[in-house]
Amino acid sequence: MKPLAQYAAIIVGLVLLGTTPLYADNYILRTAATVAMYGALATSWNFIGGFTGYPSFSTAAFFGLGAYVGTICQRNGIPMGVAWTIATVSVAAFAALLGGIILRLRGHYFAIGSIAIVELCRLIVSSWSDLTGGGDGLNVPLIHASPDAVTRLFLFVMLGILAASLVVTIIVDRSRLGFGLRCIHQNEDAAAMVGINTTAYKIAAYTLSAVFCATVGAAYASWTGYIDPTDSFQIVMTVKVAVMAILGGAGTVVGPALGAAAFVLLEEVFWANFIDWNRAILGVVIVLLIFFLPGGLLSLRARLRRASGGAA
Amino acid sequence: MSRQGFFRSARLALMAGGLATGIFASVPAGAQDADTIKIGAPLALTGGLADEGKKQDIVWKMWVEKVNDAGGLQVGDKKMKVELIEYDYQSEGQRAAQLAEKLITDDKVQFLFAPFGSGHTKIVAGVGERYQVPTIACVASSESVFDQSFSHLFGTLSPNGGMTTAMVKFFKQKFPDTKTIAVLGRDDVFPKSMAEGIAKAAEDGGLKVVYKELYPVGTMDHAAALSSIKAAKPDWIYVTGYTQDLILARKQMQDLGVTAPIVTMVTGPSYKEFTEGLGPLANGVTSSSWWHYATSYKGQGVWPTTADFYSDFKAKTGGDPDYVHGSCAAAGEVIADALKRAGTLDKAKVRDAIAATDIQTFYGPIKFGPNGMNLVRELPIIQVQDEAIKVLAPADIKNADMIAMPK
Repeated sequence: MKPLAQYAAIIVGLVLLGTTPLYADNYILRTAATVAMYGALATSWNFIGGFTGYPSFSTAAFFGLGAYVGTICQRNGIPMGVAWTIATVSVAAFAALLGGIILRLRGHYFAIGSIAIVELCRLIVSSWSDLTGGGDGLNVPLIHASPDAVTRLFLFVMLGILAASLVVTIIVDRSRLGFGLRCIHQNEDAAAMVGINTTAYKIAAYTLSAVFCATVGAAYASWTGYIDPTDSFQIVMTVKVAVMAILGGAGTVVGPALGAAAFVLLEEVFWANFIDWNRAILGVVIVLLIFFLPGGLLSLRARLRRASGGAA
Repeated sequence: MSRQGFFRSARLALMAGGLATGIFASVPAGAQDADTIKIGAPLALTGGLADEGKKQDIVWKMWVEKVNDAGGLQVGDKKMKVELIEYDYQSEGQRAAQLAEKLITDDKVQFLFAPFGSGHTKIVAGVGERYQVPTIACVASSESVFDQSFSHLFGTLSPNGGMTTAMVKFFKQKFPDTKTIAVLGRDDVFPKSMAEGIAKAAEDGGLKVVYKELYPVGTMDHAAALSSIKAAKPDWIYVTGYTQDLILARKQMQDLGVTAPIVTMVTGPSYKEFTEGLGPLANGVTSSSWWHYATSYKGQGVWPTTADFYSDFKAKTGGDPDYVHGSCAAAGEVIADALKRAGTLDKAKVRDAIAATDIQTFYGPIKFGPNGMNLVRELPIIQVQDEAIKVLAPADIKNADMIAMPK
């Protein structure tokens, strides 16, 4: 995709989601916010999973930690925005430290290690009852405003995070860092040989993949008003985000967000209309998409062009 | 067009079509019937809580059918049909909140039924509170769910506090030699509060707590905890958790030779899956429950007596109802009664009418305390004997005497 087309696609997408309050009800707004939320998560995953080619499954760990740090700050009287910032910074620092250890693993071993992080975080959070309330979970002070205002606020917050993650993606994509990460993806040893500091690059990618997840987690906690270890550290979420990114096109700029949008909308439709069969249908759709479109939804354009004899 | 080319285009058309349906079908269907009462229920029909979700599903459908067969619910001078709108939230809290919002804004429901479990009840109640839609919770018994000063959340279960003190008293009377208790609890809203509750009640009742630990959600091995319990030689072992945890714990107790004159598992025997899963091993295990079909309550609503509900349920499913069934069916009666008294669908009036509920039903009395929770009442203590559930207390519904745990 050419840069100009990329920017246009991003702006159209954000405007499309951002204008929903003008005509739609709160349910549509919430769906739009969910699209933005998963869009930000999938775009984050793209740094490590897409550019670098390291199959990370730590998304839910960063999301959950963000939610807990944000909530604990808010419960101690720190204003919402500041709490989100603290959550973001501290989880990023945690990811950088963790990255230094876990990125020594490669391939399947890394994938398993990164899943273990989610479980580990869940166990620690649920055992540390004094701080986290353990299995009881924590209540976040509810925002006292009309439901319309609350939904709108969180739609814009999620959109803001999505936009930020996309901007960072564009910067990385066009910078030396993005180039280096792609080299690591193709051949890590060769990349090291031509003078790329692979460890530092990988840690940077891993940290970037955590930053926005933490902000999303903290914002989500303020939105729902209640978090507990089981819902905050969900393996399902971690897998879902990776599927979304692959669905849209891993390693591209707009692909992951597009994949998230498609996935959330499909989910929404099947859940609402096929109460007994939703999981089966969704599974079939994912299998079909990955089977017929291994390059993700973005490769649809190239295919269309070829199908119509290159005229488009 | 070449064969390959045709397939390629067909595939593309298929996929594009699929996506387009996805996008357009999410536009809400607008028109709503002004003559129906809509009740929304986000349910866990798949995922970890699916068994419990299906129980709610079945009794609510039974209740709605019964109400509509009788012409509907009385609101003022007319009868209105009831429509139940259910969605599967897959045991994921985030989705529960989303579907609750969909039910309120999209399907325009006037009431919500909260899903199974204290945690997800909290999440759904948060959405209901924001939109001021009355939410009836039938399977949340932890007071921590009701302590957030939500004014639109009402629960039909009594506080679990009522279960512990009465049990300590009853067991001490039946087995005066009981001096020590070991408590093993699941670190999750309800099981944890029961574990904390029993430890406190036991201490207040003069027992010594020789062991008390919580195990994290998803624990697949209780051997270490059970060995410590064995070493402490308690007179009473009290384990909390959900069916799978407790089946595992009971089996491991057998393997490790851990036993005591009294073994209590909560919620264990309240669910028939527990006795089915354990067979003879379940014998002797005691528990408490919020409701049992052996009770004989009389009251208003589509099922005037407990026996009526039991026979309807038996005819419909072939099985015996447990407390989830009873409590959830009673949640419907709360709405029916409130609408009759309010005589209108006006939000604020209906809420006030629910808050003022004071009725007798087949499930027992329902009257909400200031926090929205059903008031404390005497709850049944049960025991598995010959693989069947017997009621030990309270005295007026008891159908068996307590036995010691078989060796």
